[in-house]
Amino acid sequence: MLRFIIRRVIVIVPMLFIIVSLTWVLVRLAPGNFYSGEKKLAPAVEKNLREKYGLDKPWYVQYGKVLKNIGRFDFGNSLKYEGQSVNQILLRGLPVSATLGITAYLIALLVGITMGTLAALKPNSWLDYASMTLAMLGISIPNFVLGPLLVLLFSLTLFWFPPALWNGFPSKSLVLPALTLSAIYIAYIARLTRSGMLEVMGSDYIRTARAKGLSERQVVTRHALRGGLLPVVSFSGPALAFLITGTVVVERVFALPGLGNYFINACFNRDEPLIIGIVAFIAISVLVFNLLVDISYAFIDPRIRY
Amino acid sequence: MSYSASRLRTLSITLIGCLIVAGCAASAKNSIFFGKTEPPRDNILRYVSGSEPETIDPQIPNAQNEARICLALYEGLAEYDPKTSEAIPALAERWEVNKDSSEFVFHLRHDGRFSNGDPITARDFVYTIRRGLTPETGSRTASFAYPIKYAQAFNESDVLVFDPATKIYLLEKDFEEGNSQTLAAMPLSSLPFKSIAEEYPVAPAGNSAMDTAFHQFMHSPARLVLPKSEKDRKKILDKNPKLNNAVAGKQFVPVKAEDVGVEAVDDYTLRISLSQPAPYFIGMMPHQFFRVLHQKTIEKFGPAWTDAANIVTSGPFKLESWKYYDRIVVTRNPMYWDAGNVKLDKIIFYLLAENTTMMSLYKAGELDATYNHTVPSAWLDVIGPLKDFMDAPEAAIDYYNFNTTKGPTADVRVRKALNMSLDKKALADWRHVKALTAMTPDGIFPGYPQPKGDPFDPEKAKRLLAEAGYRDGAGNFDPKKFDATEIELITNPDSNNLSYAEFILAQWKQNLGVTIQLRPMEAKTFFKAQSALDYKGVSRTGYAADYMDPYTFLSIFYTSTGSNGTGWWDPKYVALLDEANRTVDHQQRYQLLAQAEQLLLDAQPVIPLTVGATRSLKKPYLKGFYPNPAMLHPWKFAYIERDQSKWDYGMPSMSN
Repeated sequence: MLRFIIRRVIVIVPMLFIIVSLTWVLVRLAPGNFYSGEKKLAPAVEKNLREKYGLDKPWYVQYGKVLKNIGRFDFGNSLKYEGQSVNQILLRGLPVSATLGITAYLIALLVGITMGTLAALKPNSWLDYASMTLAMLGISIPNFVLGPLLVLLFSLTLFWFPPALWNGFPSKSLVLPALTLSAIYIAYIARLTRSGMLEVMGSDYIRTARAKGLSERQVVTRHALRGGLLPVVSFSGPALAFLITGTVVVERVFALPGLGNYFINACFNRDEPLIIGIVAFIAISVLVFNLLVDISYAFIDPRIRY
Repeated sequence: MSYSASRLRTLSITLIGCLIVAGCAASAKNSIFFGKTEPPRDNILRYVSGSEPETIDPQIPNAQNEARICLALYEGLAEYDPKTSEAIPALAERWEVNKDSSEFVFHLRHDGRFSNGDPITARDFVYTIRRGLTPETGSRTASFAYPIKYAQAFNESDVLVFDPATKIYLLEKDFEEGNSQTLAAMPLSSLPFKSIAEEYPVAPAGNSAMDTAFHQFMHSPARLVLPKSEKDRKKILDKNPKLNNAVAGKQFVPVKAEDVGVEAVDDYTLRISLSQPAPYFIGMMPHQFFRVLHQKTIEKFGPAWTDAANIVTSGPFKLESWKYYDRIVVTRNPMYWDAGNVKLDKIIFYLLAENTTMMSLYKAGELDATYNHTVPSAWLDVIGPLKDFMDAPEAAIDYYNFNTTKGPTADVRVRKALNMSLDKKALADWRHVKALTAMTPDGIFPGYPQPKGDPFDPEKAKRLLAEAGYRDGAGNFDPKKFDATEIELITNPDSNNLSYAEFILAQWKQNLGVTIQLRPMEAKTFFKAQSALDYKGVSRTGYAADYMDPYTFLSIFYTSTGSNGTGWWDPKYVALLDEANRTVDHQQRYQLLAQAEQLLLDAQPVIPLTVGATRSLKKPYLKGFYPNPAMLHPWKFAYIERDQSKWDYGMPSMSN
């Protein structure tokens, strides 16, 4: 187990190196600059800017600086936002994205697993059809459509929740973005739970459990769910990583100060240190969460050993 | 299967029905305004400023989203008029201009104070302008100060040429380009620095204290300025043998901040000397670049001086908090000289740029006004007729650039034909804006004798194209001969650009029978292609006035670089602009500017399309806030009116 974990942690380093280098190359290939825009700058002004931010140095010096910064987990200063370090920005955006992401994640787990289990226990009943129709809708309605629809109904017609802006946790302003964000995850989790549960319910050890005379409730919660939820677990690990590290569309639609919003703007702004910082951060999160998922397998499914 | 499908249909129809009924019920309550019209409980204005500001240091960024906030925090010599956007006195009570508009004396008010109580003096303005021009500051708008003497040289880190033996600086007039033939024979001016006053006596009428040594230096002939980098310098020296000889054995002295033409004559008198006449200079004074900054704070904290804990400001408001990517809150500055007349206690700037989100917030009563171009085109049918829709003409233009350096558009006849075959009136009517017929917007500059470009005339367009060689045997225009693959229309896909482009391409198809391809490009890629002339045919662009003078639009083509983007440049055009700016008489100057504009329109490096429109929303209870041509609002005038009878039912009156 320990060896497995150590091996996986070591793999993170070359992965990160590849991801950062690729990102750096892609940012460099993209035309334009953080200062380019509709109004063009005077040549001297542009030259001053390039000197100020070290863009006049040869590429290997700049690339070396990026790698050195990553090594120290200090991503340098943002180009676009004068006097702000990337680390500051990450620390500012993360709590917002994480609050939203975890809320949406919990809603998705609660609703999704419940819906999926109910559907699996009574396959082909109206309950099954209803939950799967809802799940289908959740998958097929993109959140940039769902978000404005919810806003139209709940903020502009019923005036129940504010249509945008961030007021911390807990607040009314969290409701609509969290619902919008969780919809697609509810749908996936419900479908994964249903198929996982259906498969497990027909397996030998469930028959054994029933034969031992356990109540149906005990069979489901103690035995079937543990096995049936494995696909959900492997799905939800990376899903949680992405939810926490920012969700571009929802944060933009609801104007939330999260990492996703920073990320998309960093790309439009060609803010190289910020792009690399956020990419590296998301990459580390995804790698770590995948590792956690693999570890948790061992606890959930007694058949898996490392 | 069919059963569940029909059930689903019924369900969805019911749902949509509910939404529509609920929507109508909500809007029926307030059918003349868009959404709620309940004033906020406190004296707080909630505005939206656009995307996250790069910084609230007013000298660094160059976009409107920062300007909207900086206008609250800082004040300059002059402020924008809330209705006309022209310069009105602010920290300078009054000013004097010399005869040819090359020197400005500002008399500062004695009660100006920073938010920490320090008095604001002429020295603070000297510091501010020098600081903005310092190369290390990295100001995007430093070129605004280039009319000031030696400002450009200082910002470019240029050098002067000094002869240590004679203590003389070489002078620019001895080496003027183009005149080197005649000048080559002439001896160098031999004026030691000390004796300048003798050759250029400036007669300060009755006030000899005003004629300082610095003032004499400003009025002495301009010193020769050369690039600092040896490589760039060599290029210039190689072209001019006389200069090359003169430079030998001399010292290169960097241009210093102290050389820049700003001088604190005394605590409350500031003098700015320009290198050439610029009658539009006063109009630039409200620009955020010239708004006064607190030297000690900047020197103490470095780039962190704008943090809420450190910042010292000079405007009617001071910074309370900055929640990044969320909101900036500014609160009344009790030290402000006119604090008694500031009506708002606070302004909340929401830092967001999604138009639909803004519309939702506005409708739900969480926003009191939006900035320009925020009402999406698709909503115009609904919002257009409402009483809180602000749609005044803007000092901004939409136009297309031609690449005049290659392809069919290098031929002026092709350019003219493409311009003439566009029905701009139809375009303008469709977008609910005014058509742009010249390079300057119509009706923004009163008294300006604006020339008119060619009218809509598809037949003449076809004749021109036939003349340009696209004709059949009978000599008539033949669309098949016109190779449309040689031309494309490039644009960034933002806001309404694509629908504009489609309308125009359809017009060309309909009126000329040629099919030109549309190529949308991501914004930054597009800007680069445009300024590098790396495109075939036509590219979209626009320009918003930097100050209220026709020159702001005409100066786009003063240089071949920068915002030009067409490759067209004509020394005759530049000479006309220079002559206009040297002209003292206002109307005569306008005539000359109009002549230059006519020359530009004749050469047709651009297709003028439409005049900008403010296209924003403002709640009826928000007063002292106008859809002015610059769409920048001096916040001290804005207030919340609780008496419904005094509300604005429609656009507020824009005349003073």
